[in-house]
Amino acid sequence: MNLNTNQAMVYLDYAATTPVDPAVTDAMSACLGAAGTFGNPASIHSAGRQAGLVVEAARDQLAGLLNCQARELIFTSGATESVNLAVIGTARFRAGRGKHLITMPTEHKAATGAFAALEREGFDVSYLMPDERGLLPLDDLKHAIRDDTQLVSVMHVNNETGVIQDIASIGELCRREDILFHVDAAQSVGKLALDLSTLPVDLLSLTAHKMYGPKGVGALYLSDRPGCHIEPLIHGGGQEGGLRSGTLAVHQIVGLGAAADLARSRHVEDLAHLRRLRERLWAGIRRIAGILPNAYLEDSFAGVLNVSVEEIDGESLLLALEPVCVGTGSACNSKSGEPSYVLRALGRSDAHAQSAIRFSFGRDTTAEEIDFTVCRYTDAVKHLRAISPAGRKTA
Amino acid sequence: MKPESATDPYSKQVRRLFANPVHAGPLPDEYNGGVVAEATESENGARIVLSAVVNGDTIHLLRYQIFGCPHLIAAAEAFCDDAEGRPLDALIDMNISTLMEGLAIPVEKTGRLFVLEDAAKALHISVSESRSTED
Repeated sequence: MNLNTNQAMVYLDYAATTPVDPAVTDAMSACLGAAGTFGNPASIHSAGRQAGLVVEAARDQLAGLLNCQARELIFTSGATESVNLAVIGTARFRAGRGKHLITMPTEHKAATGAFAALEREGFDVSYLMPDERGLLPLDDLKHAIRDDTQLVSVMHVNNETGVIQDIASIGELCRREDILFHVDAAQSVGKLALDLSTLPVDLLSLTAHKMYGPKGVGALYLSDRPGCHIEPLIHGGGQEGGLRSGTLAVHQIVGLGAAADLARSRHVEDLAHLRRLRERLWAGIRRIAGILPNAYLEDSFAGVLNVSVEEIDGESLLLALEPVCVGTGSACNSKSGEPSYVLRALGRSDAHAQSAIRFSFGRDTTAEEIDFTVCRYTDAVKHLRAISPAGRKTA
Repeated sequence: MKPESATDPYSKQVRRLFANPVHAGPLPDEYNGGVVAEATESENGARIVLSAVVNGDTIHLLRYQIFGCPHLIAAAEAFCDDAEGRPLDALIDMNISTLMEGLAIPVEKTGRLFVLEDAAKALHISVSESRSTED
């Protein structure tokens, strides 16, 4: 294999982040500079009021995408903050009623980190294992619920495998048991249809940069139905109804709104494009000996394909794939070499988890890029196997 | 503080050696496998098989087969390239710290790199044993 190549970068890591759409950039630029809407929305003068108007317009745009009330949205710095606010804010607010919380070990570290912090505060957290498909078994959830359970938190689309949880069924169960339900939707907002007017979801975290918006801004949906309350984590000027103090980042919020608007008009078309790309990639690599997808394709988001191959070191595979940029989820940290905790929770062996590669596609991905990736991946696997002791000739 | 993600985990030397592993693979068929030794690292599963052809006291050819990260592959390549043409004791004179420093390999990888040292020492023993058998 010729590992040296002049091919331009092929970006297949849209689950990590997306480029900002030009329409979003334009909307954000209009908020910067002396002639822009640069005011502080907390100010009562005209520049502040003008900024306040564009912030509220962005809130309306996001509410339009999610089909919720604009007043149910709290702007944050991104999904990690939203998840922390949802999980820790809910747990602390309801601590007087009970201290039991439920989540899964396959959640993003934003969630598992927040739950670990709560455990140090004396909360009791149940981590429910996924079934072999990566899904939360509803019976296990039923059995885990106790009188003092206050919150269930799961992610909609898993960031490593793309597995889609059945949030409607989980939410219904939580409603019946009068337990709040939080969904980490960082990977699904703007990509899959989400109608919060009908879904039994109480809190939902999202970020802009996974849907062609800017980094550094996100939102938390907090249902206005009775009983849905949280304690703020950041105290100060009382912005966002006192739930998230701090001067609103007008240009970032406007970018989030513009990205939401685009997603609303494009997500059906985008999803069809992603399906075609994933089918093309899988058709190209499925015959490689020892290859195994880390999720059932029918259960997972079409924008993600996570695969492992036997007898291949993931970190070497990642480097041999360059200039194709792919993710390893939390797989092979180049320093620690620690395999993905998500894949291990799904029952994959360390060796299997260590060779995992996450391909994720986006609006701008082309069929030609997929074809190049098929060749590169096939050649890389062939090369690493050729130099591996597993295939060595015995004297 | 410089963010970790802004730095390339691989030095230019590591990238060059990883992309051009000319000593990777088995010995040419005419050598009938040569003298072989291997070592495995249990934690990450890294594994190296070293094969050598020794003429007198000189390492004539040295090849490796490997399962491991890019740093380990680059280190094995650099080691084999350096050891060929040198006296047999080059196998036991290897200094992992010097090799790591030369390739700018992060210290966190030290454990993995020891598998190369183990394989080289095992090969030295195998060569000595094969000679005593011949004697």
